Amino acid sequence: MTLFLQYVVTGVATGAFLLLATLGFSLTRRVEGFLNIAHANLLGVSAFTTWGLNVPGGWPIVPAALAGILVTAVAGLIIGRIVYDPIRSYGPAILLITSVGVSYVLGGLMHAVIGTGIRTLDIPLASSIRFWGLRITDYQLLVICLAALTSIGLALFMSRTSTGLAIRAMSANPELAASRGIDVRRTSRATWLLSSGLAGLAGVMLAVIATLSTDIAFHQILQIIAVAILAGLGSLYAVIAAGLIVGIAMDVSVFWIPAGYRPLIAFAVVILVLLLKPNGLAGEKRT
Amino acid sequence: MIAGLLTATVQFGALFAVMTVALNLQYARAGMINFGTVAYFAAGAYAYAIFTQDPPSGLDQYALGLGLSPFAGFIAAGIAAIVFALLTGWPTLRLRGEYLALTTFAFAEVLHSLLLNERSIGNGSVGLTNVERPADLMQGLGDNAQYALMATLLLIATVLLSRRLLTSPYGRLVDAVRDDEVAAEAVGRDVRRVRLEVFVLSALPIGFAGALYAMITTLVSPAMFTSEVTFFVWIALALGGERTILGAIVGTFALVFFQEVVRIVPFETVRGAQLAASLEEVVTGILFILVLRLRPWDRLKWRTAA
Repeated sequence: MTLFLQYVVTGVATGAFLLLATLGFSLTRRVEGFLNIAHANLLGVSAFTTWGLNVPGGWPIVPAALAGILVTAVAGLIIGRIVYDPIRSYGPAILLITSVGVSYVLGGLMHAVIGTGIRTLDIPLASSIRFWGLRITDYQLLVICLAALTSIGLALFMSRTSTGLAIRAMSANPELAASRGIDVRRTSRATWLLSSGLAGLAGVMLAVIATLSTDIAFHQILQIIAVAILAGLGSLYAVIAAGLIVGIAMDVSVFWIPAGYRPLIAFAVVILVLLLKPNGLAGEKRT
Repeated sequence: MIAGLLTATVQFGALFAVMTVALNLQYARAGMINFGTVAYFAAGAYAYAIFTQDPPSGLDQYALGLGLSPFAGFIAAGIAAIVFALLTGWPTLRLRGEYLALTTFAFAEVLHSLLLNERSIGNGSVGLTNVERPADLMQGLGDNAQYALMATLLLIATVLLSRRLLTSPYGRLVDAVRDDEVAAEAVGRDVRRVRLEVFVLSALPIGFAGALYAMITTLVSPAMFTSEVTFFVWIALALGGERTILGAIVGTFALVFFQEVVRIVPFETVRGAQLAASLEEVVTGILFILVLRLRPWDRLKWRTAA
């Protein structure tokens, strides 16, 4: 029983990370209207910028992480403007396939600059905190706290600031938002900054909790998609719930099936949800 | 060197063009975005290897090696692809656009994970080595030329099947299902059945291509069948312009030629070779983005079903 609960605790940490990784993806899907496969590569951009400043650069971890997030946010904004903006009218399918191309470019650049091999940040080893016979590392706790804070911050941003309200209006109905005087281009830029910044934060967390290799970021995409689909590409709260469900499901599954199949749980979620609800959980209409 | 380059281009160009033409059938004609192409390819390759491989011995961890003739293996590859297409196609055909894309992608990852984890299927990550090759079919022809010829023959057969299918009244039914499902249903057509038929029929040549690929490389391992294969075929299709069979073929040959040229450059260091591979990835991605953006072909009309 303790072992089972231990998997649940680890699962919550996994879920908190997945939640961070999915928030930006979900935001892009709602406002820009397509599945951005390259979102996972943005996690990698952030993780390796942070690593580059921290280890070869010798920066302390906090400024390195902040710089990593900033670089990723700006990179996402630039990619959004150069690549996706001009083809927005082509429809979600072509945007989705284009994002695969972007993923190739980012992945290739990362391979070229970083090369292969495994890297870790220059941070103290995780120490674990024990309670009721269970343990959690301080880094897992950090991810959980950051995920909670980010979710609250995002909820406040979306409901209290004019930019947040504009983003919500655009995600609900772009034409109506434009006709009511919302600057669509400005809002779109804000969305790219925000969603890429969130990818940046998730990337830093990935670097903190895992050892880094250049393809690790891309491996997150199916889990991100699984969470987004389970959430029905819908509200913030749905993403939080879905992140925790997929995270806990992945870790608890190790209790019954070999650990090699852990990533499969995410695929199984995608398949199951879509078979039961062919248009996603939110049941969007076809356009 | 030039002859080697050309043979390799024809060999792999024709092989991958089989997949592009099949994908073209699914996507451009039936309107289905399949992001799991590699799964049918892998199913074919593994079926061929398992049917022709000698029974396990020593350190082998696979359970089944039937030791049959390459011909039996080839047939098995086609059947395996059809079975996998039925298994994945039947439940997913209600899905549209990006949702179908995601589910097929997920199915391909499931198969990949099975091949990696269940060592009894194909020896896990090591894979099956020394895959049987058919004896010299054509005396005097080199191995590579022989496989180039076989791939070309398979490509021709695929093109004929594809054309035959689509210039017939059946092709107009497929178009009708894509363009207006409701109308097709209203005149009494079984839309799901048509979609499943196209799905399965286009998986067949991909399975055969998988068998051929296993013969050429004499190895099947999970690392050879990642989603990169799927995206490679998609890029080739976008490059050539969809809806025309010729475009799909030309696009694939151009992409394969580009890769073979990169491969032919000698590298002094491991780092150099690695750098070249990375830059190849970058250039492929940029090519992809540009082609989709500029749409140099009139016929390149992407379907925008959500």
